[in-house]
Amino acid sequence: MEPHLIMLGILLVPLLSAVIIALFFRRCGSIAAALSVGASGIILVLSFILFATIDLSSEYKVWQVEWLTFGEFSLYLGFLFDGNTAIMLFVTAFVGFLIHIFSLGYMKDDDAKGRYFAGLSIFMFSMLGIVLADSLVMIFFFWELVGFSSYMLIAHYYKQPDAAAASKKAFIVNRIGDLGFLVGMVWAYWYYGTVQLSELYQVAGSEAYPLVAGIALCLMGGFLGKSAHFPLHVWLPDAMAGPTPVSALIHAATMVAAGIYFLVRIYVLFPTEVLLVVAILGVAMTVYAGMAALAQRDIKKILAYSTLSQLGFMAAALGMGMPGIALFHMTTHAFFKALLFLGSGSVINACHHEKDIFKMGGLLKKMPITGITFGIGVLAISGVTFLSGYWSKDAILLQAYTFYQPLFWLLLYSAAVTALYMGRLYWIAFLKTPRSEAASHAKENSFVMTIPLIVLAILSVVGGLYMFWPDVLVASILPEAELVFHGDDYHYSHYALYILGTLAWVIGLGASLWFYKPGSSEDPLEKKAPPVYSFIKSRLYLDEIYNWYVTKVQQRFADMLAFLDLIIISGILVRGSAALVGVIGLVGKHLHNNNLHVYIFWFLGGAILFFALAYFQFNLF
Amino acid sequence: MPTFSTILLPLSIAIPLGIGLFVVFTQKLPNRVARVLTQIAVGLPLLIALSLALNFTPDPETGYAFFSRTNTGLETLGITLALGLNGISLPLFVMAALVGASAGIFAVHRKTERHRLFLGLLLIMHSGLLGLFASVDVFFFYFFHELALIPTFIMIGIWGSSARRLAAMEMTIYLTLGALLSLLGLIALYWQSGAQTFDLIALREHLASQPLRESFQGVIFPLLLFGFGILVSLFPLHSWAPRGYAAAPTATAMLHAGVLKKFGLYGLLQISVPLIPAGAAQWAPTLAVLALCNILIIGFITMAQRDLKQMLGFSSVMHMGYIFLGIVSFNLIGHGGAVILMFAHGLSVALLFLLADCVRERTRTYDMQEMGGLAQHTPILAAFFIAAMFASIGLPGFANFWGEFTIFLGLWEYSPILVALAAIGIIISAIYGLRAVAAIFYGSETDALTKKIKNREEPITDLVPVERIAAGLLFVALLWIGIYPKPISDPANEALMLVAPPKVESIAHIEPLP
Repeated sequence: MEPHLIMLGILLVPLLSAVIIALFFRRCGSIAAALSVGASGIILVLSFILFATIDLSSEYKVWQVEWLTFGEFSLYLGFLFDGNTAIMLFVTAFVGFLIHIFSLGYMKDDDAKGRYFAGLSIFMFSMLGIVLADSLVMIFFFWELVGFSSYMLIAHYYKQPDAAAASKKAFIVNRIGDLGFLVGMVWAYWYYGTVQLSELYQVAGSEAYPLVAGIALCLMGGFLGKSAHFPLHVWLPDAMAGPTPVSALIHAATMVAAGIYFLVRIYVLFPTEVLLVVAILGVAMTVYAGMAALAQRDIKKILAYSTLSQLGFMAAALGMGMPGIALFHMTTHAFFKALLFLGSGSVINACHHEKDIFKMGGLLKKMPITGITFGIGVLAISGVTFLSGYWSKDAILLQAYTFYQPLFWLLLYSAAVTALYMGRLYWIAFLKTPRSEAASHAKENSFVMTIPLIVLAILSVVGGLYMFWPDVLVASILPEAELVFHGDDYHYSHYALYILGTLAWVIGLGASLWFYKPGSSEDPLEKKAPPVYSFIKSRLYLDEIYNWYVTKVQQRFADMLAFLDLIIISGILVRGSAALVGVIGLVGKHLHNNNLHVYIFWFLGGAILFFALAYFQFNLF
Repeated sequence: MPTFSTILLPLSIAIPLGIGLFVVFTQKLPNRVARVLTQIAVGLPLLIALSLALNFTPDPETGYAFFSRTNTGLETLGITLALGLNGISLPLFVMAALVGASAGIFAVHRKTERHRLFLGLLLIMHSGLLGLFASVDVFFFYFFHELALIPTFIMIGIWGSSARRLAAMEMTIYLTLGALLSLLGLIALYWQSGAQTFDLIALREHLASQPLRESFQGVIFPLLLFGFGILVSLFPLHSWAPRGYAAAPTATAMLHAGVLKKFGLYGLLQISVPLIPAGAAQWAPTLAVLALCNILIIGFITMAQRDLKQMLGFSSVMHMGYIFLGIVSFNLIGHGGAVILMFAHGLSVALLFLLADCVRERTRTYDMQEMGGLAQHTPILAAFFIAAMFASIGLPGFANFWGEFTIFLGLWEYSPILVALAAIGIIISAIYGLRAVAAIFYGSETDALTKKIKNREEPITDLVPVERIAAGLLFVALLWIGIYPKPISDPANEALMLVAPPKVESIAHIEPLP
């Protein structure tokens, strides 16, 4: 089969599933679930067929059709397949499939299964569109659809006010980023003369500096929104209001990954100065999010901030000139983050929707499969040596060391903090004895929920061994990883960094075990150092500042304009012009005597009068 | 020799007019018959419009298809009833037929007092709407507009909500003024062109060879700009629109906000800019600034609204700003975007007004603060409303997106700063759109709503099949063009290439905005 037909199939299967569910199976939850899971399975199978058959020997492959033409502007929609596409497609399809399976168990008793699974399918459709697209416009098209599908899924429990608010916030904050994307895209068209990635790859690289930087900065706006980077990160923790598998989907395989993938895709458009901005933003985000995670009690919020922190690592890798390494970390992160989120879903499901880790405890004994796999996830994200997270994080640290040392130390600090807060989560929630009614009744979930955990746990262990992966998947990772790990200058520093990296997780996990004693029902930090705790809990008051802006500035400004509109424009200018009103008042009075025939005759009379006048006037001339 | 397809076009205008007049003036017609007749009178034009769209092959020289000419007795004045469709008017003609059909079906379903009269007037209005887009003669273009406008006033005056008196009066003042100004401009154009004709094709050919003096163009254009502008609620001449729509009966609001409002934009795009390009270029900066105010200032005002229908009215005023900017861009991309957005906005705003009425029918209020949690009672209504709202805020997949995107793309050539500022509108509209959705459908029921539900005998029902058909018609069209814009963009592209004014010297001379 032709590769582009397979890709078309990959793209259309989930759409078809969503449409069929929406039209016919809204009320038949189990059929909807079967359709959606089936669709994600077909995507996975088609992806593997694609990997097996496609020939990546030329640098990239493009298929496109003309979609819209106005004058000299022609928009082509199509697919661009290269090494980046391959790995991203694999992650999306594979992790997406596992999350679908897990959803079967997690959403078993939900009233609105049809809506949920249709939403999942739309989400897959939108994400796959971004993965395969060959044009900035097509990416933008699916980009916004990802925003829309996340909006629908976050609002799944729409009766709860926080879910309703979070969905709104997610979409609006993403739209702010999309504004940059939109302007950058339009700018890119007029500057480069094309919006096709494949053509941009050929023309980019030799242009006037300030303009290119402007375009890159605008496009970066899209990344800031989707990948939840400063200052547009505020939607991500709130988005936890959605069902947990959706959080897994958003955090591991789709939405936030889309931002990184987008940057990788348009990497050639970025001059080094803008890349430096990306790197600094990324490092700042890891530090900030790591700190914020330490003061969270909600298991999902801790994981949400850990995602922000890991995204910072990816952005830093990309900013330091290693897009392939960024993709590598995104891949390993997809495995262990999906594992952690699904594991937390398993916990939440078993604990009757208790999310506070200080009210859990003893879950390792109650739910051994979840407990062990979750533990593996914690070790992997902490970067424990030879697990998947280690390889990708180590590569980033190595690169940072040669790139710019302060960044390296900050990243190393973040790596230790990651181990610290992940350890805190695990020791408190899983060890010792249950501290609430819900947790003491926890039971291991059914196999549809545990099998995805086991698969992801295996990958979290071995997923970092990129050298054993099929060539097609690591086509864009391998060269950079080889350079970082085995480049000539690295031998000496590598050992030192290896020791430092190992120290980071040892210290982080050890310190958390020592400080956050397993079984504590209160946060020790809150007790021992309230000012420190409340400082990190405040998250620099960013959310408060935004809320203040929205309610106190924006809304008041809107109210004021509405008032002025009412008073000045329609009050004084319109009503105040008494003469006009007086004249027209006569017409108004006639309008209200409700005798319809009068109007008709007036109209006909007027028309005849006009014809007559025009006729006579012409004859007079 | 008139062929079958050239008869179809006049027929599509004559059917609603004839049936409308029949329904209005037949005193003892049972309401039941009037309803069936209305459905026929809106259904046939839709079928005709769709079949015309499928068989659209424009004449390569004039750009028009299905051209027909009927004598009116005013040939000496250069007035003939010339009907035809080109790539600019075809999408709008189809849009008018779609919105008319949806509004007709909905009006038949939603019973009012003196229902027969209402339906008759609606049909007369519909016929005017179809006529104005099908007119190739400037005189009849204007005539059909008036034919559609007068029933609007009457319908608001009789069937409007409690605020109808003031709203109807304000609307009458404004729209009459706008119509007069644009009439003045058109007549001035007629006299000064020296072509002795109102025929658009002849005028275009004549003015292409002998353009008007630029100074004179600079005088005529503002007449047309502000005349048409008032009719399209150009800032700061917009205040009639939200109040008028809030007071208007739903079917009337659908037709007016969706279709009739496009008269001015269509006039600018089809008549003013191609015929008096230098005047347009002189006035472009003014129009650009006002259109930006439409987007930003009205956008913020929309955020402050509590009344759902007023909010929709303001949002429709806001979106006019994009279309004006598309016209300002002075290139084919922006003008093409304006055509798509006119089509898309017509459908989406009509759909929103329709759904707002469905919401009111179930909650007995338009006040969004009294609503909440409606989605649990009416999931399908919620789904439609969310889709319509996302369409209106330009989500890809709906036709509005292609319009907004190509407008921004075209506008960049005129002024990048303007693009950056206007694009802020996509955030503003997301804010008020999603707020409305959350206020109406999400959360739990407010006490006010619970009380209202308890006071009624029957429980809240979801959308009934008739409402689904009326809404689905518009929804499918939005989605269709949103996924595959070619059926509109290709004809529009060809037509715009034909009417595109030669790049006048003065356009290059005019200082563009930064």
